[in-house]
Amino acid sequence: MSQHRSVCLPEELCQQAEQWLNGRFDSLEALITFVLQEIMKDEGGKLDQQEEEMVQQRLRDLGYI
Amino acid sequence: MNPRSLVLVTVDCLRADRFGFNGYSRPLTPFLDSLAKESIVLSEAVVAGAPTYFSFPAIMGSRYPLGLGREVAGIAPGEPTIASTLHEAKHETAAFIAGNPYLTARFGYDQGYVHFSDFLNATARDQTTSLRPPVRARWSRLNQSVERFSRLTKFTSAAYNELYFRYCQWRSGRDNLSMDQLRRYPAADVVVSAACAWLQALRAEQFFLWIHLMDPHHPYYPPQEALQSLGISQITPFRARFLNSFWNRFDLSPQRLKRYKQDVMALYDAGVHWVDRQISRLVDALKLHQRWSDTIFVVTADHGEEFLEHGNRYHSPTGLAEELIRVPLLIRAPGISPLGSLHEPFSLIHLAPTLLQALGVDAPPSFRGSGLWKEISSGKAPNYPAIVECVEAYDEPLSMPDRLGRRLMAVRNRDYKLVLHFGEQRDDLYDLQNDPQERQPLPASIQTKERARLLQCARDHLRDERERRDQQLVMRAQLRQIRQSIDLRSSQVAVTRNQGAAKIEHG
Repeated sequence: MSQHRSVCLPEELCQQAEQWLNGRFDSLEALITFVLQEIMKDEGGKLDQQEEEMVQQRLRDLGYI
Repeated sequence: MNPRSLVLVTVDCLRADRFGFNGYSRPLTPFLDSLAKESIVLSEAVVAGAPTYFSFPAIMGSRYPLGLGREVAGIAPGEPTIASTLHEAKHETAAFIAGNPYLTARFGYDQGYVHFSDFLNATARDQTTSLRPPVRARWSRLNQSVERFSRLTKFTSAAYNELYFRYCQWRSGRDNLSMDQLRRYPAADVVVSAACAWLQALRAEQFFLWIHLMDPHHPYYPPQEALQSLGISQITPFRARFLNSFWNRFDLSPQRLKRYKQDVMALYDAGVHWVDRQISRLVDALKLHQRWSDTIFVVTADHGEEFLEHGNRYHSPTGLAEELIRVPLLIRAPGISPLGSLHEPFSLIHLAPTLLQALGVDAPPSFRGSGLWKEISSGKAPNYPAIVECVEAYDEPLSMPDRLGRRLMAVRNRDYKLVLHFGEQRDDLYDLQNDPQERQPLPASIQTKERARLLQCARDHLRDERERRDQQLVMRAQLRQIRQSIDLRSSQVAVTRNQGAAKIEHG
């Protein structure tokens, strides 16, 4: 996370977001980073795949695949 | 006359076996038993998830509870539901929810309703204040020391628990509260009265009304009138409070809990009885306002309730036993002659598309269930396997670590049920015809073909759910949750700041 990249956002949206921040986050960058980090998490998706594989393996064990 | 309107009554924690038409001996449901004679009765209706927060995405949105990923709780913003679909089809829509916090706007359940009453303000009385004995600080410190000391041995720990429980009962008994004061949710009469007032003012020709009742939900404090009507008025509010507190103890063995099981079940039964009486009032109102003849009337539940049949109480998602996943389902529709009970499994994933089909409204493509109106209204329910899923032992929808637990899943057809415990990497197959009480799973070497068939259903379901996941809905739901967590965090910061300011002021 040491390197940074600039992204373009509409000025009006940035102003609205900064008004909304109101102490919730230190900056617009902090808000956007937090939201993106939350969205990128996919722990549930990994569990879904593991569970699908478990059922596949069980079917293999029973000799049905 | 063709049906134009729909009334859906869902009852929290209502077991399928509590009805006369399903063979229950205590006469709890005289009205619904009589209504069953003119209704389609699906005696093997099965929820798609349990408890409430895993069941309702299927009832409202015909979507499996983990269909948008286990991180998502409730209905996603913009997710099509039976309410939003009927609203778009020019139905007036209203919902009256008896104070269940998981069926609120926070979880998206207000979507599609013009009028939405969640009755949360009606339950704002702080119960903890009256249930916790007002112990002075000095005594509280002494009590904490005694408790710490008691935890040194099993015997002293049990003795402390018992004495403290009795002390709390003695203290709280002095409040002399009535059943109505002890109840945590508005009783069915309050909710039905609000719905009847809405019906009276209704001008639209077609409508969708959803009512959710909580009377059978713990703590069990039925109206005294319901107890009297069942001839069990000897259970006073003081006694009911004792029974509820005792039943809620987690330091006791099932053997000790069973001592009061019959009395606790009597309280539960009285709640079911009260629901029956209020549904009767609702039907009277529909008749009075000349709505009955063109309205489909449905009664079902979001899940059942356990009374130690498998060692569990209440409705925690721990085993997906029949007592938890089987629910009543009555569909009374004008012009449909009942053809007796249908005994094929019917998943509530099919309920919303089936009801829309009955009303002649197209179901949204996102609905995972099938419209089975033609089949069930002609007395033929297909033997589709019902899938039930949840996150095992997940008791707190607001806690993300809890949500990320292992899946618990059941695949059930008419004769067998396979329960997959992903956390323990175990699958238990039950023969429902020869072991309806699910006493013993079949040995792994028996019925391997049936086991494999149900495993294949599980695999196909998992694959379909992953492949068909609507990423836009997932994103919207995640953003709602992020927004809520930010709001919560900022309100906590505000509280801390205020407390700091107060301290400075007083200091």
